[in-house]
Amino acid sequence: MIGPRLEGNGGVSLGPMTLADRKQMTRAMQEPETSRFWGGRYGDYRDEAAEERYKKDAEDPNSVNWTIAYQGETVGMTGLFDIDWAARDCESGIFIGRSDLYGRGIASEAVRLRTEFAWRELRLHRVHNWISLRNRGSRRANEKAGYRQMGLMRHYGFRSGQWYDDWLGEVFPPDSPAGIFVPPSKGG
Amino acid sequence: MFGGTVRGKLTTLRLPVDADLALHQRWAADMRVRRAGPIGRWHEPAATATWKERWTEQAKDKSSLLWSIAAGDATVGYARIGFEGAPHAEVIGLEQFVIDPAHARNGYGWDAALALHRWIFDFMHFRMAATDAIAADDAGRQRILERLGHVRFGHGHEVYYRDGAYVDQYLYQLERETWDERWPNEREYPPLPEELER
Repeated sequence: MIGPRLEGNGGVSLGPMTLADRKQMTRAMQEPETSRFWGGRYGDYRDEAAEERYKKDAEDPNSVNWTIAYQGETVGMTGLFDIDWAARDCESGIFIGRSDLYGRGIASEAVRLRTEFAWRELRLHRVHNWISLRNRGSRRANEKAGYRQMGLMRHYGFRSGQWYDDWLGEVFPPDSPAGIFVPPSKGG
Repeated sequence: MFGGTVRGKLTTLRLPVDADLALHQRWAADMRVRRAGPIGRWHEPAATATWKERWTEQAKDKSSLLWSIAAGDATVGYARIGFEGAPHAEVIGLEQFVIDPAHARNGYGWDAALALHRWIFDFMHFRMAATDAIAADDAGRQRILERLGHVRFGHGHEVYYRDGAYVDQYLYQLERETWDERWPNEREYPPLPEELER
């Protein structure tokens, strides 16, 4: 599925992902500045492949895909994936394709909007994700939306002479008996 | 893809054959097998013709491997792994590992798991084996993984839903260094004498 428009704070919004956005993010993923914690910087980066992936994502009833906009400009993408409708669980992910905009709280607001959508519109029970432990920005963005550590995988990956561990997070709705505190919404 | 022969003491991981399709159909429909969650569910039940298509897809899929597990003349289960990060995978994901309930408590699960890990670490030299698909009340698979040397690195809360209630999820990993320390004699082949290496 393609996600609906969600207005956030600080000039951040989530909107329906377009094919042009997908192609733009595919180009951004090839850059060293954005891919330290993201994949191996190899793959099928052709426009035709992006088109195929876009079509697949749009038709997938078990995922929701958004573009992240900052002051009206496309800067990233985020989504909820592999939704298990019986367990009401899914995985989440986010990519900010503009390294010059890191540190402005864009990811934090995008994760907050995405997480609220999971509870309010999809009635999910749990959302989980895997983030490189060293990717402090992404981890903090998720923690601010209520994600809490549920695991730490040793030696998940290797970059530039160092092993990276992976942080596993999970978040539950505010009224969940799982008992994990989720900060109240600040609007949006 | 399908896996070739890996021999244990009691079991053999071997190439799946068409005669195994009916067993997959039965396992997929067996609530005792499905109870395990994703480690026990490769597909939902379907018509035999559909299983044949799944078989073809599996044969073409270069990011995973399927074995049947045999004990004597009987097919007693199956194992399916994923190459994480294929085509340059260093890590094996344990996707499904099933022993037919009719053949439970014969030591087949342990024997096949040991043979599978020997293939992963000794024969193929992968860096890690891991799984994120173990239900917290699945004591049998946990016992096997822990005996192999897997460590639990995660605990997901209320992840699987069955019998009207949520069940937690455990995640396990085993690195090659640990395998080498723990199972130094588990080798596919004995070492060659020096003179034969030239």
